[in-house]
Amino acid sequence: MKTLIYSFAFSLLFISTYSANAAAKKVIILAEDQAPKNSPTAILDAYLKLKNALSTDNAQNAATAGNELVKAFKDFDQSKLTAAQRKTYTDIESDAKEHAEHIGLNAGKIAHQREHFDMLSKDIYDIAKLLGAGREIYVDRCPMYNKGKGAIWLSEVKDIKNPYFGKAMSTCGSIKETLH
Amino acid sequence: MLSVKKIIIGLLLIIVAAQFYRPVQNKDLSAMSDHISKVVTIPHQVNGILKKACYDCHSNNTSYPWYAQIQPVNWYLNKHIKAAKAQLNFDNFKHYSTRRQLSKLRAIENSVEEGTMPIASYTLIHKNAVLSKSEKKLVMAWAAASRDSLEQIPF
Repeated sequence: MKTLIYSFAFSLLFISTYSANAAAKKVIILAEDQAPKNSPTAILDAYLKLKNALSTDNAQNAATAGNELVKAFKDFDQSKLTAAQRKTYTDIESDAKEHAEHIGLNAGKIAHQREHFDMLSKDIYDIAKLLGAGREIYVDRCPMYNKGKGAIWLSEVKDIKNPYFGKAMSTCGSIKETLH
Repeated sequence: MLSVKKIIIGLLLIIVAAQFYRPVQNKDLSAMSDHISKVVTIPHQVNGILKKACYDCHSNNTSYPWYAQIQPVNWYLNKHIKAAKAQLNFDNFKHYSTRRQLSKLRAIENSVEEGTMPIASYTLIHKNAVLSKSEKKLVMAWAAASRDSLEQIPF
């Protein structure tokens, strides 16, 4: 009987190794004190935190901010939006949330995080355009990322701190637009 | 020594019992009305590459190898397919928002260029899914061109 129990245990161990990795990755760092809000404040806050992490080459902090952004999307209160706004918002969110999730799951791969950050930045820009930024936000553009095709990002400060190249090329880029 | 024998017998019994567990297979033979080809044009050559290197995990139809009928292989494969389809399902592409379609095409281009897709655990067995340089170029050019064609449509 004892040996049978052992063999059960071994086979369970064998099976569980497959799922252990996935489970570990799903651990999300959450700030529970944030109440749902109507303005995209929490979304912008998490995005800007992510942007700052990438501009200092900190993939770990970027992953944390990515997870916070996922939570901000989940908490966002859509009930005050008009029908048209809601449609556009859900469209953007379905894409943006996925990018945020990927950034959260790729703590070790900053290049991969930056690829998603590029696509995410366009989504966040559209959200800020749609719902208002609620504060002064600068739209910066780096002409070199994407093999010279360029990429935008949003920033709360006037100084250029490039999140695509980080410290290697910190001041690459310029302000293209100011949102309010 | 006797206990080792018992463990082996115990494991064998579990493996045999596991064969009766049959999760739903990834087979959907209905018309491909929401397939990516309804959204963007797919040249013949690209279609062949997608078929041999992508669709087993990223579509509603997997061509299972014979050993996929054995547990726990079958269970393991289906788990992977489910995760892969959640990321990208070519058979459901039409339902994605234009924004998400653009992101997916971009991701296809990037992952093929970086060699992260098709994943190593797949190409280990499916040797023909290892993409040559020219095949990679074809897929990347197709993904880029498809993106351009979609971007002309306003959101």
